[in-house]
Amino acid sequence: MDVQETTAACRDAFAELASPARIHDPYPFMHWLREHDPVHRAASGLFLLSRHADIYWALTATGDAFRAPAPGELARYFPRAATSLSLNLLASTLAMKDPPTHTRLRRLISPDFTMRQIDNLRPSIARIVAARLDGMAPALERGEAVDLHREFALALPMLVLAELFGMPQDDMFGLAAVIDPILKGLGPHASDPQLATADAASVRVQAYFGDLIQRKRTDPRHDIVSMLVGAHDDDADTLSDAELISMLWGMLLGGFATTAATIDHAVLAMLAYPEQRHWLQRDAVGVKAFVEEVLRRDSPVMFSATLRIAQRDIELGGVVIPKNADVRVLIAAGNRDPDAFADPDRFDPARFYGTSPGMSTDGKIMLSFGHGIRFCLGAQLARVQLAESLPRIQARFPTLASAEPPTRETSEFLRTFRALPVRLHAQGG
Amino acid sequence: MRILVDQDLCATSGQCVLTLPGTFRQREPDGVAEVCVATVPQALHAAVRLAASQCPVAAIRVIESDAGDDERASVDPAPSPAGAERHPAKDQRNPGGHDGTV
Repeated sequence: MDVQETTAACRDAFAELASPARIHDPYPFMHWLREHDPVHRAASGLFLLSRHADIYWALTATGDAFRAPAPGELARYFPRAATSLSLNLLASTLAMKDPPTHTRLRRLISPDFTMRQIDNLRPSIARIVAARLDGMAPALERGEAVDLHREFALALPMLVLAELFGMPQDDMFGLAAVIDPILKGLGPHASDPQLATADAASVRVQAYFGDLIQRKRTDPRHDIVSMLVGAHDDDADTLSDAELISMLWGMLLGGFATTAATIDHAVLAMLAYPEQRHWLQRDAVGVKAFVEEVLRRDSPVMFSATLRIAQRDIELGGVVIPKNADVRVLIAAGNRDPDAFADPDRFDPARFYGTSPGMSTDGKIMLSFGHGIRFCLGAQLARVQLAESLPRIQARFPTLASAEPPTRETSEFLRTFRALPVRLHAQGG
Repeated sequence: MRILVDQDLCATSGQCVLTLPGTFRQREPDGVAEVCVATVPQALHAAVRLAASQCPVAAIRVIESDAGDDERASVDPAPSPAGAERHPAKDQRNPGGHDGTV
């Protein structure tokens, strides 16, 4: 039987995605998986969906056909949950809650993420962008290579988040250093030492946010932490301290590694497809099309890290997903499904020209921010950071070129970078 | 055409506001979506259906019939052709944007 054969050919897609060759370029394997084993059951029992239509359905059905793990059954899905702080924090984030708790918690943060609030941040985002580019200019103009990942792509979302959280910039740079080990520890194949390193880092984050909450309690300002502390203090039942800390931990984790990776991917697209740079020299509609296409073609999140547990037996593409199975979605494969996006490996911003954000001209949803009740809280914040950055990079450094190939982080579920060295092309050779 | 937003379901993603800023807005302070027009002009019908289909949590319900202007009328699945004639101002981009039906 076909499914048997392909299951034998790929026993565990998660392990396959973690191999060095797949981290370098996961897309040929993803195309194979989607064509041959679109409802994949890994040796570990995890399911992995890779067709756009199935992923879209699963995201939409979250909270209905799929649920989050109940506190009492965490150990079943996270065998090391009892001892791991990182897994415990992950389990208490918004991403692991069902309605009505999910709705209650999400509505507490949503005032800071309305379109109006994000729009209000535009001037300060533009200011940070300009300052970071100014900072890179002298070295670039001397003909030196500069690490655009560290100096710009990572710095921008960190500084924006520092402003949102009301944190000193140096504190944010300190905290940011411990994010990568935590993200590594949350992968489905994380080793015990990786998890231990993640937990040590989470202890630091937890302690920092504990202190920050105390400071905001005595000296509240106009920032997210002060606002959440206020919600907590008005009604202790509304938001526990533990919920508050895991919420901040979750925003920190979700907030900038993904945004940084997308800025990196956007710059790589500018360098690889100079004929497409004209989108960044037009109006906001052209910039938006470029940004959405970067998000589609290079989703920073390869597959979902959060659990979706089947509420019942679910038949999908001739495969029965049994009740209580943990189902993950391979977002990066769905974004490159030719049934949703024709010639999917091609970088073509025209797919998103003149549409509403996240939807192609064919009416297909770009999956990188998810869909359904867990739709990325920071989607618009990320979009604004990209839209404020890319035209300025293009205008400021029109001869930007790669200095060395970029270095990727070795994570199978986040496609992020360690370094992206760039330089300026010598004018006139 | 009329629009209903299920405010319990709304995930405050703001997607509808990005799609059709004159038709939807986010309530202060919690960002829950609201409709800011009583009825939708013909020119925007297709855009409203698109916004409804794009809502991540399917919280937007579109009532096609203009018979719906009568509160007690049942939902008519077929758009009334007469409806088009009642909204001749097709080029009116943002009608009723502030007439606050909320």
